[in-house]
Amino acid sequence: MKGRSARERVPFRGTAPPRTPAARKRYLGLDRGAWFLLLPALIPILILSAGPLLYAISLAFTDSQAGRTVATQFVGFDNFADLRLDSLFWESFRIGLVWAVCVTGFQLLLALGLALLLNQNLRFRWLARTLALVPWAMPEVVVGIMWRLVYHQDAGILNKTLRQVGILSEGGNIDWLTNLSLALPAVILVGVWAGMPQTTVVLLAGLQNVPRELTEAAQLDGAGIWRRFVSVTWPAVKPVAIAITALNFIWNFNSFGLVYVLTQGGPGGQTRLPMLFAYEEAFKYGQFGYAAAMGVVMIAVIAVFLTVFLRKHLKEDPS
Amino acid sequence: MKRVLPAALATLLATTLLTSCAGGEGDDSGTVTLDYYSLAWQKESVAANKALVARWNKTHKAVKVRYVQGSWDNVHDQLLTSFEGGEAPDIIHDDASDLTDFAYGGYLADLSKLLPGELRSDIPRTSWDSTTMNGGKVYGVPFLQEPRVIIANKKLLERSGARIPTAGKPWTWDEFEKVSRRLTRPGKRFGTVWTMKEPVKQSVNLSLSTGGKVFTKKRTDDGTKNAVRFDRADSAVSRLINRQVNKDRTAPRSGLGMGGSDALPGFFAGKYATVPLNFSFRQQVQQQAPDGFEWTVLPMPRGEGPGQNAQGVVPQTLSVAQESEHKQAAADFIAYMSRPEHMAELAKGDWILPTGKKALKDPEINKKKDGWRTGVATAKTLRPSPALGVRGYAEWSDKIATPAFQRYYNGDTSHTALSDSLVHDGNLILNRYQR
Amino acid sequence: MSALPPRIHLARGTGRAAQYLALLCYLVFLAFPLLWLISTSFKSPQELGRIDPTWIPQHPSLDNFREAFEAQPLARSALNSLIVAGSATLISVAIAVPAAYILVRYRSKVSSAATGWVLVSQMFPFVLVIIPLFLLLKNVHLINSLSGLIIVYVVWNLPFSLWMLQGYVKAVPVSLEEAAAMDGASRFRTLRSVVLPLLTPGLVATLMFSFVTAWNEFFFALVLLKSPENQTMSVILTRFLGAEGVADLGPLAAASVLATIPSLLFFALLQRRLAGGMLAGAVKG
Repeated sequence: MKGRSARERVPFRGTAPPRTPAARKRYLGLDRGAWFLLLPALIPILILSAGPLLYAISLAFTDSQAGRTVATQFVGFDNFADLRLDSLFWESFRIGLVWAVCVTGFQLLLALGLALLLNQNLRFRWLARTLALVPWAMPEVVVGIMWRLVYHQDAGILNKTLRQVGILSEGGNIDWLTNLSLALPAVILVGVWAGMPQTTVVLLAGLQNVPRELTEAAQLDGAGIWRRFVSVTWPAVKPVAIAITALNFIWNFNSFGLVYVLTQGGPGGQTRLPMLFAYEEAFKYGQFGYAAAMGVVMIAVIAVFLTVFLRKHLKEDPS
Repeated sequence: MKRVLPAALATLLATTLLTSCAGGEGDDSGTVTLDYYSLAWQKESVAANKALVARWNKTHKAVKVRYVQGSWDNVHDQLLTSFEGGEAPDIIHDDASDLTDFAYGGYLADLSKLLPGELRSDIPRTSWDSTTMNGGKVYGVPFLQEPRVIIANKKLLERSGARIPTAGKPWTWDEFEKVSRRLTRPGKRFGTVWTMKEPVKQSVNLSLSTGGKVFTKKRTDDGTKNAVRFDRADSAVSRLINRQVNKDRTAPRSGLGMGGSDALPGFFAGKYATVPLNFSFRQQVQQQAPDGFEWTVLPMPRGEGPGQNAQGVVPQTLSVAQESEHKQAAADFIAYMSRPEHMAELAKGDWILPTGKKALKDPEINKKKDGWRTGVATAKTLRPSPALGVRGYAEWSDKIATPAFQRYYNGDTSHTALSDSLVHDGNLILNRYQR
Repeated sequence: MSALPPRIHLARGTGRAAQYLALLCYLVFLAFPLLWLISTSFKSPQELGRIDPTWIPQHPSLDNFREAFEAQPLARSALNSLIVAGSATLISVAIAVPAAYILVRYRSKVSSAATGWVLVSQMFPFVLVIIPLFLLLKNVHLINSLSGLIIVYVVWNLPFSLWMLQGYVKAVPVSLEEAAAMDGASRFRTLRSVVLPLLTPGLVATLMFSFVTAWNEFFFALVLLKSPENQTMSVILTRFLGAEGVADLGPLAAASVLATIPSLLFFALLQRRLAGGMLAGAVKG
């Protein structure tokens, strides 16, 4: 009861008050002024993003290859037919999904916790906020190398710490990156580490939308932390959390550079992400057409995932 | 914030425009400027390269060379993009394995008629073979090469009483296996460590030492046809590695994912008595070894049969872009860089070997210190890697061979399974490139 | 962590202590690689070859820093990176804010198409876009110039900026704008003086993201810039890598530490603006 009454007192949470689009349009109007504000962003995107992208997608229906010796021909859906039978690609697709779902999920959970902490009025908050962004600030070239050193068999700081704490026996060594069953979890940990800052910052900014009066009111009502989180905090950050999670999922599914530095896709292909396939197909073997087909398939699959995800969550949205 | 933003924007834009204008290369006085894309890495080697470029520019009025630094880490991506975009550098430093696809793609110029006879005769035939393809065209000058050697902990080796191999009489693989056993102290030390970050390259190159070659070339009606083979001779070294890791336990399983440098801390600490490494790693060993640590350079083991002491190498190359408008001038510069004394200079800088016969006689390259002499002695056993010139090798290596070898060396699959997947799945890929 | 369901009401003091502890765990996890990097940058090659590395260098020296500066044009490349990342960030945010605002407030076909595009553009393997983009830029003579790279980064950052800013704009109550419009304020003024202040936290998050993305970006910088004097920091750093993953670790660590500092400073300066309080104040006013 109390929770509900608190909620009703929110004047401005969420998006617009219930107005019909027509009414809003009448009031604000998509006129010249609106176009003026929109075009500076749309034009560069149309020219430099849409152009090259559509061109690249069109390659999926050709046999385009690197090299100036062969002429490109239209081949219809041949690439997709080949791709359907490419069991290695689909195996890597499975790995890619495991990787993307795990990394995205952990990123959201951990970053949410961190953002809530950083939103508290703690001492040295500025320092904590800055240090929490370290994975972002470190140059990507060196991130992989540093983590390789952390996981290093003989001289790695992780094995050493585990020995010191007593989890590992004296002389015990874990081969994090070459063990067939440990390699994927090990790189997932690095993936979560690397992606934490942007999720945290985005959520932290989103937390500023939580109406303070409400939190205080709920606190006065004697609502526990969990209740407060569920009924006040989460509804306010949810749109932002969904937005960043959707993007994180896309990015994670499409990433491969970090993992490549760590394991080169090994051991035994356990960490070969699908994007690595597309990259190698295009840049190493010069098969632009086939690689583009992979890209199109990836768009299709991610789009399905996202639609389901966004539908589900946006529907729940009370507004 | 509101007022700062536009001001900052304006300043930045102005700076940008200024800097991008300042970087022009306009030169209308009739001189030609060629871009030399170099992959020199060690400090000394970069310095040697830059010094040679400066000397060239001083003595050549009409053709100037601009030094452009590249990196082994991303050479292929950078070159492919600039080839496709028609902005390639004129003179290109790369390695022979990377040349295959570029050559067949028509990006590289045929140098066979552009190089002086002196240079052609100074570099041995076997080296030229590594860059000659597509019907006898020469797509690069193989000027540097790097054998694999064994770097050994001198004290441990001497204490074990094993025969110290020489370039003239290396260990046989059999002997190496026995010595490894002798050097191993279970729980404390391994006789050797196989750093298999790139398992395919090593397995293919070392197969030559037992009379194998993994890739066979068959002459058919429409040119040569490559195929994968993995018979007894081809797989002898692979089987040995598998034995050492999984049966004898004279090499640690954990080494399999390491790159060469990763093994060094363990090597210095006496955890590994020997470690097969590329020749240039001597620089790191020399730099990082703790005081008083003694190490020595040994040749790689050989097979039992006559003539079975070869190993495959992938030489570094200098090539000219097909799109370059000054191919002869570019080839002249390559010839200049490949003069015996210059070649020796460049080799020393990167701690590797020159290919030229005269450069190999350079006294500094032949000194005993840091194992240089052992390297020079192995030079005549070096053959082009069997993988060179095989179209589709990269795809075979990434998709089939790397995972298969990793599983095999890890003791996860049998030799039959390895061989099946290398040959059967492998030939499917190679055939696609040879339609 | 404060989100965990505690069955009993924690005493305030205990709660605080738990919060500090949780925060400490987070920071150790997130920041220890930087400490290790700094430690590495002060170590000699011999120490880097040790099997039992220590956190504190035994004979700390500045040799790696000296060598890094001697080997590569670090200062020049840092300046280039700063110019590129700074301009790209400011430009992309400056054009993304109005656009995001319009996209949220006008649910037209254009908006949904644009939003859909934003996501699709992120889904396609970007390596495949590089070559067509390269040819496009070459045609307008923007290869090998910092301006070309800036334009690419602006476009590259826009999807994220638009997508995220939309989320933040949605949270701004429409009634405020309506009030401003009633008072006769133009749309641009409404945006600037009503919406923008409320967007500050989201804007800062977007600024940070754009800056870091551009500062760290590697692939475009690698293929688009040719002249040595135009190289950016991320490309220069790969010069410390040799064949087969060999790294000149000491100097690389030193250079990386230097490359990390600008971003961290930028964060330290901006983080305050992520703080709240604006919304409550604005509503009252």
